[in-house]
Amino acid sequence: MTPEELLKRYELKPSGENTLINYERQLWQARYSPCGQFLIACGYDATIQRWDMTGEEPQPMKPLTGHNGWVPAMDFQPETKHLLTADSWGKLTCWSYEDEEPNALWSTEDAHDGWIRALAVSPNGRTVVTGGNGSVVRLWSTDDGRKLKELPHPHRVFSLKFHPDGKSLVSGDLEGVIRHWDIEKSKEVRQLNAEVLYNDEAETKGRIQQCGGVRQLEFDADGKRLVCGGQKEPAGGFATGTPCVIVFDWETGEQIREMPMGGTQDGFSYDARFHPDGFVMATSSAFPGKGHVWFWRPEDDKEFFSSNRLPNGRSLSLHPDGKRIAHLTSDSRNGNGRMLKDGEYAGGTAVIRVLDFPEASEPSAEEM
Amino acid sequence: MKQSETTIERPQLCVPREHAVSRRRLLGSAAAAAGVGGLGGLLEPAVAEELKRNDKQVVFVWLDGGISQLESWDPKPNTQFGGPYRAIPTSVPGIHLGELMPHTARQMHHMSILRSVHTQDNSHSAGVGRINRGDPKNRGVVYPYLGSAVAKLLGPTSTGLPPYCWVKPYSGGFKTSDAGFLPAKYGALAFGDAKAPENLLLNESISLEENEARNDLRKMFNRRFTQDRRKDWADANSYVFDVADTLMQRMDLFDESKIPEHDKDRYGRHALGRHMLMGRRLIEAGVRFVKVNSYHWDSHGDNFNACESLIPQFDQPFAALLEDLDDRGMLDNVLVIAISEFGRTPKINSHVGRDHWPEAWSVAMGGGGIKRGHVVGKTNKLGTFVDSEEYDIGHLFHTWFRALDVPEDLMEYDNAGQPLPIAHDDCSAIEDLLV
Repeated sequence: MTPEELLKRYELKPSGENTLINYERQLWQARYSPCGQFLIACGYDATIQRWDMTGEEPQPMKPLTGHNGWVPAMDFQPETKHLLTADSWGKLTCWSYEDEEPNALWSTEDAHDGWIRALAVSPNGRTVVTGGNGSVVRLWSTDDGRKLKELPHPHRVFSLKFHPDGKSLVSGDLEGVIRHWDIEKSKEVRQLNAEVLYNDEAETKGRIQQCGGVRQLEFDADGKRLVCGGQKEPAGGFATGTPCVIVFDWETGEQIREMPMGGTQDGFSYDARFHPDGFVMATSSAFPGKGHVWFWRPEDDKEFFSSNRLPNGRSLSLHPDGKRIAHLTSDSRNGNGRMLKDGEYAGGTAVIRVLDFPEASEPSAEEM
Repeated sequence: MKQSETTIERPQLCVPREHAVSRRRLLGSAAAAAGVGGLGGLLEPAVAEELKRNDKQVVFVWLDGGISQLESWDPKPNTQFGGPYRAIPTSVPGIHLGELMPHTARQMHHMSILRSVHTQDNSHSAGVGRINRGDPKNRGVVYPYLGSAVAKLLGPTSTGLPPYCWVKPYSGGFKTSDAGFLPAKYGALAFGDAKAPENLLLNESISLEENEARNDLRKMFNRRFTQDRRKDWADANSYVFDVADTLMQRMDLFDESKIPEHDKDRYGRHALGRHMLMGRRLIEAGVRFVKVNSYHWDSHGDNFNACESLIPQFDQPFAALLEDLDDRGMLDNVLVIAISEFGRTPKINSHVGRDHWPEAWSVAMGGGGIKRGHVVGKTNKLGTFVDSEEYDIGHLFHTWFRALDVPEDLMEYDNAGQPLPIAHDDCSAIEDLLV
């Protein structure tokens, strides 16, 4: 398809007609389940929120509770209706997510010492990999939570993903390094360079903060391309920098395309996913009220769609029918001092918008 | 006795109590100290003993921009604004700190935390000055920073070393603005990146005799210059030369080869670690007030990753400092303070940052005159507001002056006839923090 044809098919037009889910706390991710029936979200309040999306309006279900701190990471077991979640205190849990009553199948309280930042389920669904602030990546059985393997990791882990062949794993770290691991041999195979997403201000600006990191990793369906997300030339303080995703050729490890979006004073790209039609869908969060959604084919030197009408994006999720996405935003104004609202000190909230593609005629593109 | 300042009539450059120890003794001490380089630059034992007995000192750690109280001194785990981190136990049962401060947690028995700080300004531009100057009532004068105030009120220690030194990133020099209405000589002598001032040592082509002759000439010119001008201007000018002269005798303080590798590791080899270690060495050498400064704690965006990068750089050397001062028997006389211009908002903005929050934050302190292993005040369950008596920076200034045994008769400056309380007159010391 030409960029014009792609735009015609996939241009998003946010409006008051979109289905909205408002949630009282901020969230990190909102994902459609592989069956498409549920939308599941995790975030700042240690709960996992669920909505049944089969009716006219989203129907909230009982939240899954038992985590602590934040729940920043989750992934679906592809063949069962199981969900793996991890929290910032080191707990890993497997849930049956379709049951009306919350149902934790197993849980490991101290899967890591502290913040689990990343979690991914293998393509065959048998293994879940976790990593975070400890210098280790751990693989677990999804059946019972048994620990299968440990990979010593030189730095804290920001992102993880299995290759679709199930034999390889990638990990992204603070310093903009993506490591390719051979799972069977427990060995690092090579490194991919995403250093543009990192800045050690102690070296570059005489400051003391290490900034940025590879915040997100995702393969396309046949495993030929890898996309990572973060912030180009990041800085401390206001965390300014250009939201950016980078696409790599998996075979060569070379960058195919750097896809920055927005100004140098913006924020992070928190999510980037391949669409089955070959383009990358990404969202960014900048200063409160800023940020973009953009669609970009790696072959092209610019995006074919972008919108700043969906600011403060945290995640986007393609429905398995390919006709819509769920886009998660944070709503929490910045400002110094009291900022009372009706006499109360209000925290941030989240908004999930269901956005239909105008002419997405092909059904059932499996979500990446 | 009131402290008379900025008067043309002032009869002498320095009041006698400020130079209670002769330069000859100081130079003797310095020479002795130079001979103990093998001990890692420790000061002469006799001076150390005298300091322990008599001289109150201060290490003032300034985290410019505002450290998040919720990720450090006042964690609220598993609450709406608590963030992702756990709280960890400390060496004092029942007191917890944020999990990013494991080293400091092990030193909690040496320190106190005030968790009910409520100040008046949420901007850096005004807040930095207000906190550093104690935010006194507006009487049309600019008050001195705490370091300058202590330099004035207590003078140099018995070593005679400059009373107010500032270890900071970037450039050094003599920073007179800290002195406020006090004479410029009470400003801060800043060591940029913990290094000696440039060109401190005599050029090799100048002999000691020539230097002495040069100084005599300078003094003669100064005397003539001073006859019909404000005395404190000449005073400040002469002071800088005196300070340089003093420091020239203590170049060992700036010799990194004299610092044991073990200490460098314990404090961390990053800037704040090196600067905090320099702070300890200056205190050991006898400097009255040492400010150690770190910039860029202003995490409006990506606060939690910022904290993971920043807080360990404070935690490790701060804990080492407390431990070392205690090991050396100096903590009874050295007041250690860790502070910013404000805390950070409980609310996490859409940029995953925390903004400025003077409403309810924390200040940590330990050592001389301060209770150990103690928490005063509290915030509410969410950490949004103070849920006990609120204390402003004026209360803290009163508390610190009391901890330093500033005599009652020095509790007021005399600014050319204008009486000025040394701290906010509506505030008083926080008794519960004092020994």
